[in-house]
Amino acid sequence: MIGDRSFGLVCLEMALLLLAGPLVTGTIQKIKARLQCRTGADLLQPYRDLAKLFRKDSVQADTASGFFRSIPVLVLAATVTAGALVPVIRVGPPALPLGDAILLLGLLALARFLTAIGALDAGGAFGGMGASREMTIAPLVEPVLMMVVFSTAVAAGTTELGALAAHRGTEWLLAWRAADFLGFAAMLMLLPAETGRIPVDNPDTHLELTMLHEGMLLEHSGPGLGCMLLASHTRQMVTLALVSALFFPAGPAGTGAASLLLGVGTSAAKILVLAIFLALVESSYAKLRLFRVPQYLGIGFVCALVALALRIL
Amino acid sequence: MSADTVQSIIDDLGALLLFTMILIVAAGQIYRAIYAVAAQSLLIAIAGGVLAAATGNVDLWVIAAITLVVKATLLPWVLHWVVQRMNVRREIEPVIPIAGTLALSVLIVVVSFQVSASLGPVRQAITGNALPVGIALTLTGVLVMATRKTALTQMVGLFASENGIFFTAMAVSQGMPLIIEIGVILDVILAALVMTIMVLRVRSTVDADIADLDRLRG
Amino acid sequence: MTVGETLLWVLPLVPTVTAFAMLTTRDRRILSALDVGSSALLLALTLILAREVAASGPHALGVLRVDDLGLVFLVLLVILTFAVAIYTVGWLTQAVAVGNMQAKYLRSYFALVHLFVATMVVTILADNLGVLWIAMEGTTITSAVLIGYHGHHHGLEAAWKYIIVTTIGISFGLFGTVLIYAAAAATGVQGSAGTLSWSAMMPVASTLDPGIVRIGFIFVMIGYGTKAGLAPMHLWLPDAHSQAPTPVSALLSGVLIKCALLGIIRFQTIAAAACGAAFPTYVLLVFGLISVVVATPFILAQHDVKRLLGYHSVEHVGIVALGLGFGGPIGTYGALLHVVNHGVTKALAFFAAGKAIARYGSRDMRVIRGVLRVAPIGGTLLVLGALSLAGVPPFSIFISELMVLRAGIGLGHSVAIAIFLAMIVVIFAGLLHHAGGMAFGQPTAAASREPESWSPLVGMLLLAAIMVVLGLGIPASVDGLLRRATEIIVD
Repeated sequence: MIGDRSFGLVCLEMALLLLAGPLVTGTIQKIKARLQCRTGADLLQPYRDLAKLFRKDSVQADTASGFFRSIPVLVLAATVTAGALVPVIRVGPPALPLGDAILLLGLLALARFLTAIGALDAGGAFGGMGASREMTIAPLVEPVLMMVVFSTAVAAGTTELGALAAHRGTEWLLAWRAADFLGFAAMLMLLPAETGRIPVDNPDTHLELTMLHEGMLLEHSGPGLGCMLLASHTRQMVTLALVSALFFPAGPAGTGAASLLLGVGTSAAKILVLAIFLALVESSYAKLRLFRVPQYLGIGFVCALVALALRIL
Repeated sequence: MSADTVQSIIDDLGALLLFTMILIVAAGQIYRAIYAVAAQSLLIAIAGGVLAAATGNVDLWVIAAITLVVKATLLPWVLHWVVQRMNVRREIEPVIPIAGTLALSVLIVVVSFQVSASLGPVRQAITGNALPVGIALTLTGVLVMATRKTALTQMVGLFASENGIFFTAMAVSQGMPLIIEIGVILDVILAALVMTIMVLRVRSTVDADIADLDRLRG
Repeated sequence: MTVGETLLWVLPLVPTVTAFAMLTTRDRRILSALDVGSSALLLALTLILAREVAASGPHALGVLRVDDLGLVFLVLLVILTFAVAIYTVGWLTQAVAVGNMQAKYLRSYFALVHLFVATMVVTILADNLGVLWIAMEGTTITSAVLIGYHGHHHGLEAAWKYIIVTTIGISFGLFGTVLIYAAAAATGVQGSAGTLSWSAMMPVASTLDPGIVRIGFIFVMIGYGTKAGLAPMHLWLPDAHSQAPTPVSALLSGVLIKCALLGIIRFQTIAAAACGAAFPTYVLLVFGLISVVVATPFILAQHDVKRLLGYHSVEHVGIVALGLGFGGPIGTYGALLHVVNHGVTKALAFFAAGKAIARYGSRDMRVIRGVLRVAPIGGTLLVLGALSLAGVPPFSIFISELMVLRAGIGLGHSVAIAIFLAMIVVIFAGLLHHAGGMAFGQPTAAASREPESWSPLVGMLLLAAIMVVLGLGIPASVDGLLRRATEIIVD
């Protein structure tokens, strides 16, 4: 489906997702710190961390193969490409056929797979453990994401995210059907899992008992680690953008610079709301034991399945 | 409000009801199940209010108010009180794993929608998706009662089951006659009271959960 | 207001007022006097009502209505209540003496029994299907407390199982009621006030949407079937019947499960009109056959005499369901007659078993031996009750079972009849084996040999007399009542 979101606009959106990613992470950290009565690090701290990492030299385990070095770049590339598929500033199908939600989920899964492969490749114990845990969770998360996307896609008759968002129109909340509530509930339950946060994962720790995603990054260093971290920031951003594209696709019409700015502003506001939600969840819940995670995700699974059933039946 | 608006609001509330039901099924701790069933009753009361505003039926206002006071506030409070007072085990002990119950509840939802989709003219008499949602809630409530070992969780299942019936009854055009609904609520209160007394009595005499006793066989 | 209409609201009021009056005293003699007096009054009023109905047809008052169908059950209820009241006088003396009942809690026991009776009266008289449900749930609540009355934890376990299982079941019943209400509301024939009224629904029942009535009837069948003790929803029944105090067991088995059957019959008539007679027939036959088959092995392997009687109730409810399912004038008449026969006989059996249990201090049939030697009259009644329950002529149950069989054969349900006959024969043998062991043989030394007290005997003799009379020949007044009730169902 060919629409009116120009190639330039898509590139701009992609760049926004990439560049604003660390800022969102910084914001979540800041809100968390405030909720815990700490001052917390500066909003820009993730940028400084990245800058420092990119200046450093890289060290590699003896057991790692040559492939290990290219992993961070591939992961980042897959994630950023996924970012091109989500509408951020304006809704509507893009001017050139890029791909749809299925490709987006595939790219995210590819990034996840590459991360796990890299962790195994290095041969460290923690990496292997993190990878195996991540791969336990992934088969639970991804089908649910699929089903949530499909439950909205069935109504719109397309899996292209821009067209899907446009189909919802501007009265998004009033037009919510029963299935949307359940799909949204499933999405909210998934969000912490997909962004590697409490109650599924803990981003702040390298304790062996609790970590999933962080464990896989242990063997990376220097620019490689920088790429991996940037990829996680972007992934989080893409996920948040996906949620708002699926459920709150409000955006201004028109092509002028003013409407462009307004579009950036509204999506920033939506993402800020979701970020606050994540920070609140992280501050108010404890991390689940690993074998309780499937049960937690099971709720999301059932919700998504029922949402899909409501659409089809 | 137009009929379409009412129908879509009832559908939305139905989806939220299903969500609370999923939370009840998935709850690992008794408190969560109690909060979820309270939220569910609150949604039922809202549904009653919406239908009352739409049809101008005063009886429905009364029913919504009673639901709010009794089922959304009083009964959950009593359950909460019993849990605190009696130091009962807070972990819910399922007979089959919770994942299994979740899978069964999905099956129930799908079958409910399938069955009520096969009915033709009656859908005019019942607003929106209230019929399949009601069937699903009722059956899932029974599922919770059948697959939990502790008495209080069984009571939560019972309340959820009654909620499903109430939802459907409200959505039948004009609602059930007021006197009947009040009688039904009165029965629910009395049953809850008797059950609570039994739970407390067994706990004070043999220090066990009443639902765990299994000496009578054959 | 005519006499009939006045009686409609007076009848439930009598046991209710009695219940509250009982709470004001602790004196056992006054309590017993109130018990017997109120039951006798109830019996007398019901007979007056029966004459009114025979003379001038059904009476209705608000949500209550009495017709010949309801009268069959009402008469059974008041006769059993009266017999139970007489039996209780002597039973109580003994129960208090051994400490099964505590003297200071007696008034609440009596009050609960009368509230239980009051809820059953409303169940029978209810015309509004919602009121029928409310009263039915009311019977659950009052009788659950009575079942756990002894307070030991077997009793409480049985009571919990009872209240949970029947409340689940009865929720299904309410859902079914709501669905049928929705079907009635969809026709828009009546005003909203009348749509739950059975008598208002019947004339338009054939216009109801068959799809929804079908689902509704299945829900109702499971719901009221749970309360009636139809397998596979009978799980509560043997526990509750065996743990309840004996007079309560007699009421549960004799009347309560019959009230649930009345509920089923009311919905059956609606379902038959809306979706053709074949559908309810099929459902009833399935549940009836399952009940008869499931009960059989438990009856054979049972050692606890009260559990034995409980499982036996499952079988007989199954027979009633079969009779209703076969349908036609003969099957329905047989089913209604069986309701009365089984109620009277089972109450007698519970009474006699209760006395034997008290004498031997055990419910185990391997311990209860030679009852005829230690208690000649009570033992004879026990044997008579067991023979009658097994279906030996000339007792009444033989007649009604024969009618059910006759209806089934006449309408060509050969498979059902084959299964039914096979089970009946097996149960016959099993029951005679159990009864023979209990009646004859050498009594153990532990058995009490004190003389039999008069009041339980009077209660039992009253029931035995009815049992024999109904077996030898049905009196014209009873026959007329049953015929008119059958016409209401068969139409």
